[in-house]
Amino acid sequence: MNSLQVQPVARTVTSVRWLPPRAGNAYTDTDLHFISGSSSKHKELVLWTTGNPDFKQLNDSDTDNIEESNVLASLVTKTSHDGDVHAIAAASSETVVTASSFGTISIYNIGYESECNLSLRESVTAHRFANGEPAACTALSVQPTGASDAEVASCGEDGKLSYAPISRLDGLQSHEVDSTVITGICWPTPTQLAISTRAGQVKLFDRRSPSEVSAVFVDPSQSYDFECITAHPSQSFRLVTGTNTGAVLLWDIRNPKQPTMEAFNVHQSNVWSVQFHPTDSSKIVSCSEDASLAVTQWVTENNNSDSQNRGVRHLSSFFNALSINCFDICPFTRTSIIVAGSDSGNLLMEKSPANEFSMF
Amino acid sequence: MSRIKRVDKFVVEREKETTLHLKPGVFPLGRQSEWSAQNRTLTFALHPLTTEVAVSVAGKLSRENISKDIKVYAPDERVYFCKTVGVPDGRLPFVNDTHAVFLAMQSIMGQEAEEVGVEGLLRLSALYREAMLRQVRMLQDVEQQQKESDFVETEVEIFQSMHAIWHLLEIIYLTTNLPGLNTSVVPYYMEWLNFNFPAPLAEDGQRIADSARDADALNNNAELWPYLKKLAIRGHMTTLANMLEQVAPAQDLSSSSARWARELARVSREMPLGTNDETTGSFNARWRRWSNETHDISTAIGSVISEENDDPQLSSLFRIAEILRGEVDVISEEGELWQDVLGAILLYSEPTAQADRLPTLAQVVLEQFQTDEFTQVDRALVALLNHDLAEFLVYSNQIDNWLSAHTSDIMDHLGILEEWRSVFAMEPRAHYLHLLGEKYLSHQDLWHVGLDYFGQSKSPMGLSLVEETIIRMPLESDKRAQKILDICAKYRLTTAVDRIHRQLGRQKWQRGRLGAAIAHFAQVGDRNAIGQICDQLWTEYLKSGNLTYGPIIDGIMASGRIRHDRLQFLTQYRDFHESYKAGDFTAAGRLLLAILVDETAPSHAIPDLLVDAIPLLEGDGLVFSADDTFELMRCAEALTQSPIVKKSIDSVADPMLPWSEDSPATTRQDELGIFNVACARNLARSFVVL
Repeated sequence: MNSLQVQPVARTVTSVRWLPPRAGNAYTDTDLHFISGSSSKHKELVLWTTGNPDFKQLNDSDTDNIEESNVLASLVTKTSHDGDVHAIAAASSETVVTASSFGTISIYNIGYESECNLSLRESVTAHRFANGEPAACTALSVQPTGASDAEVASCGEDGKLSYAPISRLDGLQSHEVDSTVITGICWPTPTQLAISTRAGQVKLFDRRSPSEVSAVFVDPSQSYDFECITAHPSQSFRLVTGTNTGAVLLWDIRNPKQPTMEAFNVHQSNVWSVQFHPTDSSKIVSCSEDASLAVTQWVTENNNSDSQNRGVRHLSSFFNALSINCFDICPFTRTSIIVAGSDSGNLLMEKSPANEFSMF
Repeated sequence: MSRIKRVDKFVVEREKETTLHLKPGVFPLGRQSEWSAQNRTLTFALHPLTTEVAVSVAGKLSRENISKDIKVYAPDERVYFCKTVGVPDGRLPFVNDTHAVFLAMQSIMGQEAEEVGVEGLLRLSALYREAMLRQVRMLQDVEQQQKESDFVETEVEIFQSMHAIWHLLEIIYLTTNLPGLNTSVVPYYMEWLNFNFPAPLAEDGQRIADSARDADALNNNAELWPYLKKLAIRGHMTTLANMLEQVAPAQDLSSSSARWARELARVSREMPLGTNDETTGSFNARWRRWSNETHDISTAIGSVISEENDDPQLSSLFRIAEILRGEVDVISEEGELWQDVLGAILLYSEPTAQADRLPTLAQVVLEQFQTDEFTQVDRALVALLNHDLAEFLVYSNQIDNWLSAHTSDIMDHLGILEEWRSVFAMEPRAHYLHLLGEKYLSHQDLWHVGLDYFGQSKSPMGLSLVEETIIRMPLESDKRAQKILDICAKYRLTTAVDRIHRQLGRQKWQRGRLGAAIAHFAQVGDRNAIGQICDQLWTEYLKSGNLTYGPIIDGIMASGRIRHDRLQFLTQYRDFHESYKAGDFTAAGRLLLAILVDETAPSHAIPDLLVDAIPLLEGDGLVFSADDTFELMRCAEALTQSPIVKKSIDSVADPMLPWSEDSPATTRQDELGIFNVACARNLARSFVVL
């Protein structure tokens, strides 16, 4: 088991997200920025900065000292958040969208001028129960269009799926699509949304025909709850869900009537978040209640179908005993940097050069 | 026996009481009696989970029994929420770090205790100490940034004290107790002393050395000789020898002083140090030779002093020589702390002493100190040196709950706490772990950590505490509920799982999330609640006429983990509707008959099902065979004969009964009559077809 570097931040970290580069896609900034959200006592959004490891000079004694002193990232600015932060999505380097336990979707602007600041631009209640109580927003995802005015979609404990253009949150549309809790949401294509449910279902929803769910997938052989979902960055028919039993399920829904599914039992407990590695999509990264991250190689070189023989690399820290709730992988650097947040009040980080990732 | 009595006194000692004045408060400070005379008193309510207290003003007498002159002021009508800070935010990193070490210790000692042994505990103990030192460094950084920081200063003191105590415990019970190692406690004690009570400070030595250009200047420095005595007390022999050699050439120094300074420098360098390769006998022989030599030097300086008694440097050299030969009186006079004196006695008188000699030596040392003025830290250290673990735990708990909980835990793993079990009213490890868990639960971010301390106490009481606490945890979100259920599963709390699922089910039901509610009730097999929700769905359908519960049923039935007659009925009835809507009357009829024959439908729904059968009976095509029709007629007959249903048919309108008195166009009896006629006609048609 590999070790993650730990930085105590004295707050329960529930969401982290890297911010895109401020100028174009070629990341030439020497400093990277990410944002974390926390819950319980400190309901806050915090903007962090860390050195870009691609620019680390050989014999850079200053950087080494920083690493030795356990400072993985420096706090730039912070702001309070209305409710626990359940999810963060970065729409641009200057705009982030957050989901809260009070059922609201909020948009924050990030100012990088002389003094960095995080300011609330707009907030709207997207999820509410029938009796009027606010329903927690469980996840959100920004439409992968690359356009300036993408849509943000959210899901909640009220079983509703809501979406609106980021520039006009008041034009929010909501549809009830499940009778239990929707735990995760993603955009496989710019017109299609996929959700995972507490009842162990994956549902597809077409943005163009919002009146009904276009497909439902279930694993009839097992009784799972799904905790999260993500879509392959380029193959929209591949989805990954994380379960409450610690499994990561890889779905191939090319044939919607007979989807195929492969299970990787990589964790001991609930899988809270899952992602395809942004620079090497043959790997699935997941984090769990068992206080570990797992990097699973789902594509094998010689087409070996035996999932037990596939490489799984576990990452954890001795000083982090509680659940890792969230993580994000920086897609803009050659060095793979994973940042994660945990219930033990830690930020965790792993920096591994790109060539190390082809080892297993 | 007497020792146990003494401990009992501490065990029953009440915890410190604190008087706080609320600011802004209900009455001005110092005017309590005046305020109280006006029929006022305070009332309070404790929060069941946190340390929060709601305080408000109440009347001692009822309003009717008091004079009307007594006015009510605005502060009387407020409710004040007070909270004691159990765990400051600054401690969170330390709490989380040590929680991780604690869990690792329980896991390792639970599975492979014999393999891990004392060495494994020593490694984990070092991690605890590392966490304490990290916390001290972090606090010192904060202290440098904040000018007025009494709180931070106190925290630094607490953590330094805890480190000193833990370090000594580690030396006595782990470091010098490794299997196969028969080692002296002295070098470790000196290391402990110099690390935790740093004196003489290295900066002082540097300053003295920097201020002296030559030996004369050094000799004239007033701080030099007291500093050299401190070096001797603490056993810093190399530094002592270096400084004595530096000062020896001074012009102001008498020839005898210079000579003895050089001699003392030489013997300081030659002090024997024990090694692991050397036998105790060989070391003792070397030590005796060295000790005799220091004794001779001391005697020689003493005789010179009697001749030249006005030489202060020579007096200082004499005292240094006396310290080196282990003269207790001189050591006691020169040592500032009792720890210094014990260290010097160990170093110069009993260099091979083992941990079991510490109580005797400590007794000798403490006789020369005013123990009444000792702090809690001193008392805890003394108790530890005396191997009085009960007293030690009581004082540790007064310093900090963390210390008593973790020291009792490690002592329990070492198996040394058992003999003290009778002193305590309950198992000490569990008791102190519970106290710490309770403290952690008062912090919102530490609820999981607090529960772990309860659960890992491995006592029935601990599990009860987890259970009692966890069922009161606010189920703020679905994810939080999942985490709570995970903990229940970890500690196998089946009753708590049951209660939490029921609570979640009721919560979802109240919020109109019927599917989610059914899923939770299904987890605990609450068939009654599931039946009630199904009845609600059925009633809503009857009221609205729109069959909208389909997605709810599909969502929860898809996984195939829920089996319930009512759900099956609703599913079949939904399928019947869909078949009917699609024009597949045969399939619809088959489904309807299956519902009636299998008796999956509740009795109050049967009349509606019979009415639903009428269009199929009267349709153009023959849907029901003669046998099917007989079955339908049997169901109708059973319905009319059922006393409950019969009564309900005759009763006043009931929302559960579709055949209400205000049904349009017909009465219940009429509808039953129509059904009977339809059955008769269908039967006739079926015979004709046959």
